Amino acid sequence: MTRPTIRAVGGYAPARRLSADAIAEAWGSSPSGIESTAIPAADEDALTMGVAAAKRALDAGDVAPDELDWLGFATTTPPMAEGDLLARLASMLDLREDATLRLYTGDARAGTAALLDAPESGLAVVADCPRGEPDDDRGHAAGAGAAAFVIGADGPASVVDHATHAEPAPGVRFREAGSDRIDGLGVTGYDRSAFTGPVAAASEAVTTADADAVAITAPDGKRPYRAAGALGVESDAIRACAVVHDLGDLGAAGAPLALARALAAGHEAVLCVGVGGGGADVLRVEASGDLPTSLALDAGDEVDYAHALRLRGELSDDAAGTGAAYVTMPTWNRSLPQRHRLVAGRCPDCGALAFPPEGACPDCRELVEYEETRLAEIGTVEAATRIGQGGAPPEFAPQQKRGGAFGVVVVRFAAADGDGAVSLPGQTVGEVDVDDEVRGVLRRLYTQEGVTRYGTKFERV
Amino acid sequence: MPEAYVVGAGQSDFGSFPDETYRSLFATAFEAARDSVPAGLDRSAIDEAYVGTLGVGGRQLGLPGPAVADHVGLDGIPVTRVENACAAGGSAVRQAVNAIRAGSADVVLAGGVEVMTDVSNDAVRFWLGVSGETEWERLSGTTFSGVYAQMASAHMAEYDTTTEHLSHVAVKNHANGAKNPHAHLRFECSLEQATNAPTVADPLTLFHCCPTTDGAACVLVVSEDVVEEFTDERIRVAGVGAAADSVGLFQRDTYTAVPASQQAAETAYAEAGMGPEDVDFAEVHDCFAIAELLAYEDLGFCEPGEAGPYVESGATKLDGELPVNPSGGLKSKGHPIGATGTGQLSEAFHQLSGTAGERQVEGARIGLTHNVGGSGGAAVVHLLEREEPRSSGDASGPRPRASEDGGEAR
Repeated sequence: MTRPTIRAVGGYAPARRLSADAIAEAWGSSPSGIESTAIPAADEDALTMGVAAAKRALDAGDVAPDELDWLGFATTTPPMAEGDLLARLASMLDLREDATLRLYTGDARAGTAALLDAPESGLAVVADCPRGEPDDDRGHAAGAGAAAFVIGADGPASVVDHATHAEPAPGVRFREAGSDRIDGLGVTGYDRSAFTGPVAAASEAVTTADADAVAITAPDGKRPYRAAGALGVESDAIRACAVVHDLGDLGAAGAPLALARALAAGHEAVLCVGVGGGGADVLRVEASGDLPTSLALDAGDEVDYAHALRLRGELSDDAAGTGAAYVTMPTWNRSLPQRHRLVAGRCPDCGALAFPPEGACPDCRELVEYEETRLAEIGTVEAATRIGQGGAPPEFAPQQKRGGAFGVVVVRFAAADGDGAVSLPGQTVGEVDVDDEVRGVLRRLYTQEGVTRYGTKFERV
Repeated sequence: MPEAYVVGAGQSDFGSFPDETYRSLFATAFEAARDSVPAGLDRSAIDEAYVGTLGVGGRQLGLPGPAVADHVGLDGIPVTRVENACAAGGSAVRQAVNAIRAGSADVVLAGGVEVMTDVSNDAVRFWLGVSGETEWERLSGTTFSGVYAQMASAHMAEYDTTTEHLSHVAVKNHANGAKNPHAHLRFECSLEQATNAPTVADPLTLFHCCPTTDGAACVLVVSEDVVEEFTDERIRVAGVGAAADSVGLFQRDTYTAVPASQQAAETAYAEAGMGPEDVDFAEVHDCFAIAELLAYEDLGFCEPGEAGPYVESGATKLDGELPVNPSGGLKSKGHPIGATGTGQLSEAFHQLSGTAGERQVEGARIGLTHNVGGSGGAAVVHLLEREEPRSSGDASGPRPRASEDGGEAR
């Protein structure tokens, strides 16, 4: 069977790192085979990381979002248990409203499942940020990251073969309903066979031995290598594209992001092995020629253990109350094109730009129906400040407790067609000063009445 | 069109008063205003009242005007609450002046009141940003300190304004406020203290920000037809200007000026036939130190971009060529939102009456008040002029009544 091809690949991991040494200093031991883990910012989650990876893939492949008919999003850590996560993701990525949207979740094979389900034209996005108890190995190993694959015709890579094996067993890890912490049995012998057994069974139907890289789910830094024998590969093939050593346990995103790294490095025969629940998916991916890739996996600041706990929200509550100047959900919803995509308006009478596109035209002052207008990708900071502890509006107090002081700027964006410009306010990701050039990134803004509101922030180019 | 005159004005102490209510503070200010009328003023003479308040904390969010009017024994007159954020008080005075000029009233009370310090830290955060643009500016993570800090950053980038320039505003206003028995923060500070204080919103430090304050202030405005019944020291409302603008900073064409202030000043100067060179002192809206620097430029006290060197020169000190905020301003006197504008008028009245005590501006004849709502969504400017005595032979300087120091009860 000929499967659709991969046209472009994106990858993303939060820049902050917690070293294994810092974990060892706190607990006396560090997670097996892990040198550091990626720690999400206070305003990041699986959805925002997925957007970051997906935008990189689309940009790398120069793919217009409206070309895509299908969006698959895989994560074991959806930011909400019930609610239309996918429509939000589609809106943030500017996909067509009639695109087919599918969520893959429930175990760490969700990422490979999304890749296998992808139809002729689509986007498979995998993002995860698993959490364990702070005092167990799973908590120590927890990392964060995302990968995205643009699927379509005539790409230089494709899934040429695959097989799946699943058993009704708990596997190496599971999570109770209502809990946000992964758990496991902790039975050494069982855990080993629960990981390698399904891999061995699935790999019987796929040619594996000649693979030059193996991208495999990695709950810790040693377990992937225990599957080398079952796959008939050398450990070096696993090490060639492993992400667990520097990013930690990425749950469902582990194997796909390792695949992204392998493809970006130019490997031509790659096994992508998703292991989760009681099963395994083995995909054989073959690449030839240059595959457009864009991965943002570099390490940034190193944080200490207490800071990592704070960033992960282990030490504070996440919800904002309601009070004066409360923005209702219907009002908020009307602004989603602006929150997600910075859609501005052009006055049909005088041609001036407006943001948000409502009310009287800022130039001719006529009440008009604005024409939807896109802004340039890069804007310039006109005014900047940094809001210290206690200075945030209550909606952002929980974020400030987790992430500390944050920047707020006014940014000037020209229209994408170069005709006119508008200014808009927003928070920053990282340090930004007046006259810096910035681009928009999707982040969590705040959670109120049980609903997380997402919007565009700005980071220095 | 009848001319309007201010015949009395007074305020409660500004500060933190857990034992007071918005009603009791208003009553204190009302009585202080009546007591300041040279010939006295019976409450039955008042034809109408305007009350400025934002309603921080909720309290009597609906009908606070009638509630305080009733509390001070004003029965059956029209009472209107004026909400224009931090410019509510100044806007209430403007409404009073308009009522006089329209001929619909002869004696009008303009009051303002706010209680802010008994609200919990968590709850008050919901209120401090309510006058910024809510959907975009507030939800970018700013309250007012953040928006004014952005203005400061832009002014610094464009004109090389420095943190020390901001600190000069704080040092000056605290020096003045230390002389004001009604001020909230009656202490002096050094340039180093102001500059090195903890950062609230970069580049603004704690000493570049005004406090949250409880307080009330009232102004009694009368028509020329009846002014002689109340005083022979006539303080005329020579000019009034007001303007509105986009509520969000990002929606305006400039971040280094407040266009509403410029427009309000232009109107007030034109109406009075005056210019900035005629002003003897000014009470300006210094909610943050950068706001006072912007006010210098917007009101024409100095050229655009020159406000930093201007304050550093000492020109706006109490003994300078143009004293600004002799009361201590919002920075030291305090900023009880709805009462701030009427408090400025009260200070101007006492300065022009020669009853400002230790902080008296010598020879003051023309005073300007400048009250801003939000970060510039509204602004009101008043010009008050002490008229020369109509009987010949009187001295032209202020004729001090008993100084308010120790005399005027809160």
